Formats: sequence, structure tokens, C-alpha cells
Amino acid sequence: MLAAVLVLNFLLFRMMPGDPVASIIDPNFSPEAKAALSRMYGLDKSLPVQFLLYVKSTLTFDFGISFLTGRPVLDELRSRLPNTVFLLGTSLLISSFLGTWLGMAAALRRGSLLEKGVLWSGAVSFSFPSFFVQLLLLMAFASALPLFPLRGTLSVPPPPGGWALAGDYLWHMALPVFSLSLLGFGGWALYVRNLMVKILGEDFILLARARGLPRKNIVWRHAFRTLLPPLLTIFLLSLPGIVSGAVITETVFSLHGVGRFLLEAVTGHDYPAAGASFFLLALLTIGANLLSDLLYGITDPRVRLDRGGRG
Amino acid sequence: MSALLKRWSFWSLLALVFIAIFGNRFFAAPPEAEVAASFSKPLWLDRSLPPTREITLTPEEPSVTLEWAYPPPAAFSLRTDLPESAAGLSVVWRRPDGSELTLAPLKKGLEVDGRDMAFKRALGLTPFGDAAGALFPGSGRYEVSVKGEGPWKGSVKIRLEGGRWGLLGTDQRGRDIAALFVAGVRVSLLVGIFATLIATFLGTSVGLLAGYAGGWTDSLLMRLVDLLLSIPLLPVLMALAAFWGKGLWQLILILSVFSWMGTARTIRALTLTLRDVPYIEGLRGLGAPSGYILRRHLLPETLPVLLATMTLGVPGAILSEAGLSFLGLSDPRVISWGRMLHEAQSFGAFTSGAWWMLLPPGLGIAFLCLIFLDLGKFLEERADPRLLSGGKP
Amino acid sequence: MISVEKLSITYKRQSARERGSVKALREVSLSVEKGQIAALAGESGSGKSSLLMAIPGLLPPGTEVTGRILLDGTDLLTLSEEELNRLRWRKIALIPQGAMNSFTPVLTVGRHVEEVLSVHLGLTGRAAAERIDSLFTLAGLEGTLAGRYPHELSGGQKQRAAIALALACDPDYLLCDEPTTALDVITQKGVMDTLKRLAEEKGLGLLLVSHDLPLAASVASRIFILKDGLLVEEGTPRDLITNPQSVHTAALVNALLELEEES
Ligand SMILES: Nc1ncnc2c1ncn2[C@@H]1O[C@H](COP(=O)(O)OP(=O)(O)OP(=O)(O)O)[C@@H](O)[C@H]1O
Ligand SMILES: [Mg+2]
Repeated sequence: MLAAVLVLNFLLFRMMPGDPVASIIDPNFSPEAKAALSRMYGLDKSLPVQFLLYVKSTLTFDFGISFLTGRPVLDELRSRLPNTVFLLGTSLLISSFLGTWLGMAAALRRGSLLEKGVLWSGAVSFSFPSFFVQLLLLMAFASALPLFPLRGTLSVPPPPGGWALAGDYLWHMALPVFSLSLLGFGGWALYVRNLMVKILGEDFILLARARGLPRKNIVWRHAFRTLLPPLLTIFLLSLPGIVSGAVITETVFSLHGVGRFLLEAVTGHDYPAAGASFFLLALLTIGANLLSDLLYGITDPRVRLDRGGRG
Repeated sequence: MSALLKRWSFWSLLALVFIAIFGNRFFAAPPEAEVAASFSKPLWLDRSLPPTREITLTPEEPSVTLEWAYPPPAAFSLRTDLPESAAGLSVVWRRPDGSELTLAPLKKGLEVDGRDMAFKRALGLTPFGDAAGALFPGSGRYEVSVKGEGPWKGSVKIRLEGGRWGLLGTDQRGRDIAALFVAGVRVSLLVGIFATLIATFLGTSVGLLAGYAGGWTDSLLMRLVDLLLSIPLLPVLMALAAFWGKGLWQLILILSVFSWMGTARTIRALTLTLRDVPYIEGLRGLGAPSGYILRRHLLPETLPVLLATMTLGVPGAILSEAGLSFLGLSDPRVISWGRMLHEAQSFGAFTSGAWWMLLPPGLGIAFLCLIFLDLGKFLEERADPRLLSGGKP
Repeated sequence: MISVEKLSITYKRQSARERGSVKALREVSLSVEKGQIAALAGESGSGKSSLLMAIPGLLPPGTEVTGRILLDGTDLLTLSEEELNRLRWRKIALIPQGAMNSFTPVLTVGRHVEEVLSVHLGLTGRAAAERIDSLFTLAGLEGTLAGRYPHELSGGQKQRAAIALALACDPDYLLCDEPTTALDVITQKGVMDTLKRLAEEKGLGLLLVSHDLPLAASVASRIFILKDGLLVEEGTPRDLITNPQSVHTAALVNALLELEEES
């Protein structure tokens, strides 16, 4: 998995048409200076050697110097990663909890207004572009009604002191996190509702009723426990999408995060920076992937024994 | 078939295809053209603002009156279109109180703008004065006419730039949003349909191959699918679009290369169940070549499902294209809905409250996606009747 | 005594395509007493399972049910879900058709038994564990199997686990929907003997649904035969074989007798 990402990363950011060095240096540079630059980025070696060098430096998180800012890429990323992780983590938590809860409630009350709402929010989250919804939110709650800031992660200059700083941060992150959760949760609730409807139609639920069990037991012990493993699968499958969503969200709200850094690097042909931020985003996905794979094994007895190659 | 005719989505799609093909014929100017002041509101929106007007004076109709009940227009300009200058004639502006101002002589190739210093001085204003304000002191009946002795040929055009224009207003460059919107339909449809067509082709080939061949081919291909499914798509697309090319067809190709995995999985699963159906096994026993079995038997069997997954895949492609364009990674010369949103954001559509720049492209994308989702659901139910009894969506 | 009086069941189908109703049962009356084994036979689709599921009130919502189902005098059809929950499993337990899918896949079979013990009898901890052990022994299973998940059991083991689960709260009546179809002949006999012994020793009233007329005749004291939702025949096994009332039963009996002779 990791190896594959490394290869892909290399292909994407090193073997693209166009000489990477040509894009940053002045045509007036002397050939010697050009060669020196090439050597600095290891571009004078043969491809396999380049690849090995690249793997080594990536695995040691030595991403080189950004073409654009001239600062080490690692430093740039280190200041941005916490924001991205915070954005992703909180919205993922909010949307999965809220989505699960609403989806289950909808499945338990078939035909209710709530169910219709869940069905609709599902359709909306599959058809409305995320950035469009976010732009609307920005327009409504930051521009027309100035409740939230229009851009940025912190006020300029940032307020002094721990609590004020934390409050300012939360105030800036509120709208991005809210919108990203909103967009995740519609689809999530729809999935949960569909799965739950299917489970509630299973024989073992009827039998649990036949046993005179209280509704609470049926819903939580029997239905929910059965729902959990497929839920984790969906979680796993939705991760890449959420990371993509974070890139867009960071751009819309001008957050100081890895995603927007990637965009800037990509538009500025800053290969080392682009490669490194892509690698980091992929790493985030892989990490979360492994985690939910692990949880899957714990929650589903059927895969505990006969778990073959997966993930 | 008749069930299809009852779907709203089918008719909406037809209408959009019609618009995509013929839509731009309904506009006088091409979508790139600047037609009015930037950020003009839609005509129907703020009725207290003047609409944009164009007045043409000719020898046959040398004077035009206009009723004015608005604040002064945003800009004023005058252009002569004459074969030769006519001495002794000039364009005269009469205000409701009867006072007259001479705007310009009838000179060949004259272009006057309300912001020109010379024009302001001619009106007796300071260089910082407001020409439009001086010309329109209040509401009432105005008259503009060519006065003086002598014959003349050609025409004089006067343009009063209002704050309102067209059905959906204008963007930051003064382009007609309605025309841009219509041009965007084409791109979204094109990208959505072609990207999924190519992706479906790829996915079907891989799925059929993996399912039918089995063994290590199968496991290798499925590993690849797993891998691609667990990598965040947008960053990859961003890198490819930025480094490889932004053209429309390049974008379509990039999108399809990274969205065939779902189809491959579905088709593979189907092929696996079909492969062991007795008649296929019989065919193999008779020595029919694999290619023949794939083409003549497995492919037709999987077709209904294929059609459904394809239709359901279109929104994904449309949204990806829109996302890339929104990030500014599309060809700036190609007008698309995502691009319109990108420009709306980068030129501060909200700080100026220009929501009409935001809503049409955004809702357009959403509507198009909803159409394909509904059609896809319809086809899915056709392909798999079990879905019908199992609750609504 | 469970007595079913003039019970009619009409399923309503409301899918996107068809709208209509299926009459699964028409004015059927029958009764089972404690300590008695009654058998319900009939061809596939004749309404046997529908009748059985109607007793503890488990038909899908929207199904039209008329008539009366009396459990020791109270009409079950008039009870609320909570009131039914107090009777379910404590008075009336159920062994479903094809026990395959009747266990929640993510819980061990022992956990299922434990749950009903704690909900209905308030048994937990050691007492529950001991009871689970004795129930499994009663059903002819090793106690260690209680720690297994449903998919780790064979069909026959699952069927026996379903019996253990059904007997957990000492019900008065046991409704069995083809408890032995998934089993081989020897195991079938074993299960039937267990059920029969329970009826005799514990005074359990047993309503047994079966395709298998000879098997039913060998254990039941009364047999009811359904066809297309109608009760076409009722009596002791002897009555049925010597003096079948309907052409249909006669044909069935003849076929069976021929089979017996052949083997
Ligand atoms: N949930 C349901 N919705 C609609 N119709 C149903 C439903 N369940 C059963 N039926 C119909 O009711 C009739 C009786 O079904 P039932 O399951 O009671 O038959 P059965 O005698 O148990 O058959 P078998 O021996 O095959 O189990 C059948 O025609 C069946 O199609
Ligand atoms: Mg049945």
C-alpha cells in the first residue's frame, strides 16, 4: 500500500512532462548554475537511482526545499498538518455520529418526516458540489450576516493568551467544520438508513422480537451491532472522498492547511511541495484505513477467523 | 419504455441537451462578450436601478425621448457611426426642466465616455464631477436629439449603462451570466457523459477480464482497484491537471482513468456469478473461444447493470470536473459551471453580494446531477427488480 | 390452552409495482393444550407459517388479521406490543423455519440465551451460565458450543441451539416450524424424541408444523391439514389414515403408504 503510494507519487510529481528545473529558474542562469540546481534536486541521475533517492528521502520525511517559498517543505507542512487533521477529524466524527444516529432513527420510523429528510439530504449531498454549498454558507453567515470570519485560520494578528487563541481558532474553524460535516453526513445518513432498513427486515430481528426482548435491546444489541461492520467498510471507502473534500474546504475558507498548500504548489509547479503534500494526504488516508480495518476485525466475528488479504 | 417517459429526469435531460446544442443561438452576443457593466444585477431584481439602454439616432429618427424614474445610470457613452463628419450639427441633451446641454459634435469616428476629462469639461464639470449625475438630475422626461442645419448620414449610438442586465445579470467582466450558464451546460454534459463512457469501457474490460480469467490476473487487477479506491482522488486529479494539461479532452481522459474502479468491481462480481451458469459452462465445454463467450454472452447479460452504473457514475464525473475547475485547474478559456464559481469566488462575488453569480452555476450542477441520479435509480430498478420491493431508494 | 378461532390472514403487498393482497389463511380454527402435541401439515404455501407467526403477533405490520387467538382465555390480537412482550418466550416460544438465519450473526449463541434469561427471568452470572449449560445438554449439544458464533455451527447444531434457546424460559407452549427439515433422518428422530419427552415430562404444549406426515403422525395426538389457507382435515393420526375426509388427504396418505412399502 505504502509502496504503491510512493510509486504513484513518484510518477505524478517527477515524471511529468516539462523539466521541473526549467520551471523555476531564470533563462539567464548560466548552464553551470542550472546543472548545480539539477544536482541539488538529484535530477541528473538515472531514473531508477532518482527513484531510490526519492524513496529514501520521502521515508525520512526529507522533502527538500520548496521551489516557491525557498523554505524546507517539511517546515511548511508541519505548520499546516494540525489544521488539516483537526478539520478532517472533527468533521469526520461529527458527520459519522450524527449521520449514524439520524440514519438509524429514519430506518426505525419508516415513512416519517425524518426519513424523508434523510432521503433528501442524501440526494443533496450526492448532487450539490461541496464548494457551492460552502460558498453559500460563507455568503450567508460570513458576508451577509457577519457571524463568522470570511477567511483564514486565525485572526491577524492572533489574540494573545491560550483561551482567547483557542476560541479564535474555533471561531475560524466553525464554518469549515460545520460545512464539511454537513456534506459528509447526508450521504452517511442515507447509507446507514438503507443498511438499517435491510437489517431490520432480516429474520433474526423478527426472532428477537419473538423472544419478547425490549426494543432497546433489539435496536442496539441486535440491529446496531450487526450494522457496525458494514458501517466501518463505508467509513473506509468514504475516507479518500473526505480528504478530497478537505482540499476544497481549505481553499474555500482560505485555511492554512495541507490541502491548500497542495493547490498552491500544484498551480505554481512547485514539485517538491506538491509531492510532499500529496504524500502526506495519502498517508492520512492510509492511516485511517488501517485503523478502520482493525476495528472491522474486532466488530465482525465472521472475519476474525477467515480474514484473507484485504486493504 | 413508457415508464421512462413518465420520469421528470428524462424530460429535463432532453431539455438540457437541447439547450446545450441550440442554447447559444438565443443570445445576440457570444458568451465571452462583455455586454454590460460588471456585477449588473438581473433585470427583474432591483427595479429601482435603471436597466441598460441603448439609443440610436438616425436622420430618419433624429430625436428620442425617454422617461426616467431611476437614479443616474452607472456609465454613459456615445459613439458616432458616420461615413463623414457633418459640420454644424451636434447631439443635444434636454433635461426635464428644459435646460439643454451639448454632448458632442457630429464628428466621424467619435467615441465619448462619461469618464473622459474633455467631456466633463465640455459639460462644465470639474475633473472629479459625475457626468452621469449631471445628465440625470432627477426623474422626468428627457430628450436627446441631433440639432443644427444640414444633412447627415449614418447613426449616433448612446449607451446608458444601468445596474441591471439580462435574465441573470453579469459577472465581474460584464459577461452575460445567462449566456455563460447556457455555455456551461455543454461542458458539464460533455465531461459527465464522455468521462463515464470511457470509464465504463475501462471498468467493463477490467471487470470482465478479472471475473472471467480468475486466478492471478483477477487478484492483481482487484488489488489495483482496492489501491485506487483508497487514494484520495482530487489531489491526484489536481496534479495531473496542473502538470499534464488542462484542455477539456485531457480533463475527460484524466477523470475517466481514475473512475473506472466501481464499474470494474460490479462487473467482475456479475461475471463471477454468470460464469458458472450452466449454459456458459456448456459453451466453454463445446470449445467456444473466451473472447466469443465474453462478447456474445457475458457482455449482453451485464448490459442492464452496466447502463445503470454508468448513469449513476455521471454525477461523480460532473462534480469532479466542477471541483477541478473551481480550484482553477481548468482551461480558463473554456466556460464551465465550475469555472464560473471559481471566478465568482476569486473576484469576491460575496463581498459585493453578487449571489446571481453563484446560484445559477451551482444549482445547475446540482440539478444535472439529480437528473442522472434519478435516471440511474430508474435503470437500476429495471436491471434488478429486487430493489423495487426493498424500500424506496 | 391456545385456541385459534376463525383466523383469517391477508397480506397486503405494497411495492412500487404491484398493489394487491394475498389471502394466506381463511377462517381457520384449531387448538393445542398443555402436554399435547398437535401437528399442522400441508403443502408449501398453504399458510402454515403464517398461522404460526400470527400467534405471538409477528406478522408484518399492515397485515390484516381477523378472528381470535386465545391464550388461556385472553385474546392475543387485542394486546399491545408491551403486553405481548410479557407473554412472548415466557408463555409462548418459537422455533423458526430453517433456524439458519434466526440468530444475530454478531452475537454468540450463548449470548442469545443469556439475554432472554436476564430479560425474562432476571438470571445473570453463574446461575445463567449453569442454566445455559443444562439447556444445551437438554438439546443434545455440548455446553462449549455456547461460545461459538452462529456461522461457526452446522445446520443441525444451530437447530438444536434454537431448541435450547426456545426452552430457556420454560414456556408453556412451543411453536415449531419444521424443526427437523434441515437434519438427517437419525438426528431428526433424536430431535423429535426430545420434543416429545419435553411435552410429556414438562407438560409443554407443542404445535408442530411439518411437511412430513408420517413423522407428524408418529408424535402428534392431533393433526390439522391446511390447503390454500383452508383447514381441510382434522383428527387423530388414526382417523386420518383410515378415513381421510378429503380427496387431497387421501392422495397424500396413499402416496405415503406406497413410500413406506417400498422402503
Ligand atoms: N410477508 C408476506 N407478504 C405477502 N405474502 C406472503 C408473506 N408471507 C407469506 N405470504 C404468502 O402467504 C401464503 C402462505 O405462506 P406461508 O409462509 O404461511 O406458507 P407455508 O405453508 O409456511 O409454506 P412452506 O411449507 O413452504 O413454508 C403464500 O402464498 C405466501 O406467498
Ligand atoms: Mg413455512
